[in-house]
Amino acid sequence: MKSKKYSENLLKLFKNKGFKVKNFDNIIESKIIIERSGELFKKSLLSFEDEDGKNFSLRPDLTISACLDYIKNIKRGEYKYTYFDQAYRRTFGAESLVRNQLGCEIIGSNSKKSEIEIINLIDSSLTKITGNKNIIKLNNLNLFNILVDSLKLPTRWKLRLKRHFWRPEYFKDLLLRLETGSDLEKNVFELDKKSFLKMKKLNKDQKIAGRKISQILKRFEKKISEPRSNIDGKKISKILKEYLRIECKLKDAKQILNKFEIKHKLNLKLENFNLFKLNIKNRETIFSTNTGRSVEYYTGLVFEIYKKSKKLNLASGGRYDNLMQILGAKRKIPAIGGAINYDNLLKI
Amino acid sequence: MKNQILKIGIPSKGRLKDKSLSTLKRNQINIKSTKRSYISEIKNFKKNEVVFSHPREIIERLADGSLDVGISGFDLFNESLPGIKKNIQIYKRLDFGFADLVVAIPKDWIDVQTIADLEEISFNFKDKITGKLRIATKYPNLTNDFLISKGVTQYKIVNSLGATEIYPFTNQSEIITDITSTGATLKANKLRILKDGFILKSSACLLVSRKSLKNKKKKDILKYFLNKIS
Repeated sequence: MKSKKYSENLLKLFKNKGFKVKNFDNIIESKIIIERSGELFKKSLLSFEDEDGKNFSLRPDLTISACLDYIKNIKRGEYKYTYFDQAYRRTFGAESLVRNQLGCEIIGSNSKKSEIEIINLIDSSLTKITGNKNIIKLNNLNLFNILVDSLKLPTRWKLRLKRHFWRPEYFKDLLLRLETGSDLEKNVFELDKKSFLKMKKLNKDQKIAGRKISQILKRFEKKISEPRSNIDGKKISKILKEYLRIECKLKDAKQILNKFEIKHKLNLKLENFNLFKLNIKNRETIFSTNTGRSVEYYTGLVFEIYKKSKKLNLASGGRYDNLMQILGAKRKIPAIGGAINYDNLLKI
Repeated sequence: MKNQILKIGIPSKGRLKDKSLSTLKRNQINIKSTKRSYISEIKNFKKNEVVFSHPREIIERLADGSLDVGISGFDLFNESLPGIKKNIQIYKRLDFGFADLVVAIPKDWIDVQTIADLEEISFNFKDKITGKLRIATKYPNLTNDFLISKGVTQYKIVNSLGATEIYPFTNQSEIITDITSTGATLKANKLRILKDGFILKSSACLLVSRKSLKNKKKKDILKYFLNKIS
């Protein structure tokens, strides 16, 4: 009963702010996700084939369902979704196959206003229905990207660090590789220089297993021109680890980041970030560089809301400006959303 | 123990069959020679039935308890789903059938030496070429687990049933994962193993059905058979 009361109250509060309650299709065509997201997500899909061999899946996530609904039915302008329904994913360990998801999304908006609206709405709604005060943790993933860009690293290493920021465990492995210099073996390069010279004489448009010879040679040359031995991996790893430990009150964040910049002679272009000026009503708002590292598709502002006394995660969300295109939209459609951690909410 | 038939699965063809039979023979377990039939029995042994099967099938049948004991590959056992594996016990790794499951790429991809390189170019495929790096394999589960643990996520598995090594040159995939013992077949097909692309070291295994181990009536005959194999 507690469950029903919470969900009804939250949906009512979201509806009052102009969010429309939507029911999404239970089944989606798997290729929409598989073709675009790769095998990692495919592993979690509950899929089946119809008699024509077409693969379908039970909806794995309601943010994805909202995006697909927007692409199919809304197409243009700002649209505010809210939902409370079930999503289905293959389980690994003790997790349940069925997940209750309650969330809200503003699709088609890149405004700062939408960001504040989502965070304040989720935070105040949770306080209203539980009577508890919360802590908000904020971050902007672009800050990390700018930090990485300003480090003296080969481009491929920069891209690698950015791509795997959302996988904290694997990211640790990457830092270890950076520290120990186990990325490249010189003798292998020497050997393949012979093949390189041979291949240079071939038709550059010829393809080898889907890759043009010109493409292979270009990347080989790039690797040689950015030798691994020139990287001070230990120093860079130390900087990244120090950055990922930054956690402070939002009002102090700019000053602390500024000190960090000066200490390591970096330029984080802090003046470009509106994060420090966001009008968040909750005064217990913290800036944390380690926030928002669990979901691949977040692109900018990310937030997590915790119950103050127990540090229990109650909600999380963020901006996902690239997801719509990944799911098939023909143009870039900005979006922001947040989901209530419903199981934790019921623990209160 | 009376009336309990021990059911034994042996690979039905190739080197794995020959080596399995010679290993059993070395341990005084002689199987009646059969040229065509897929069913036989051990000579001068308690009630038993030998079933010649595909190594993959041996694993499935051990899991559902229709075989009690069998010889198959460590690679195939590990490729099986957790629900299958939990019903089988590896009794022993045997000293034949050695092979490695590896990630192999076209030898002329000279810019790709490590899995980290592969991860990098997989993103180029995502952005520019056919949409996804395609990996042909007979081992989708082991391949997924390995690649995802190494940070490679942007690829598509192409299930292969045979001659996987030709896939990259017939536009069916870009790279492969496959089992190899000497590397000669890969080399002959202009493929090269990535330096850190070793997924699993395999060999033949003596496997036992956990259902049979729990079966009080079969326990003794099963132990008797297992003890004979040194």
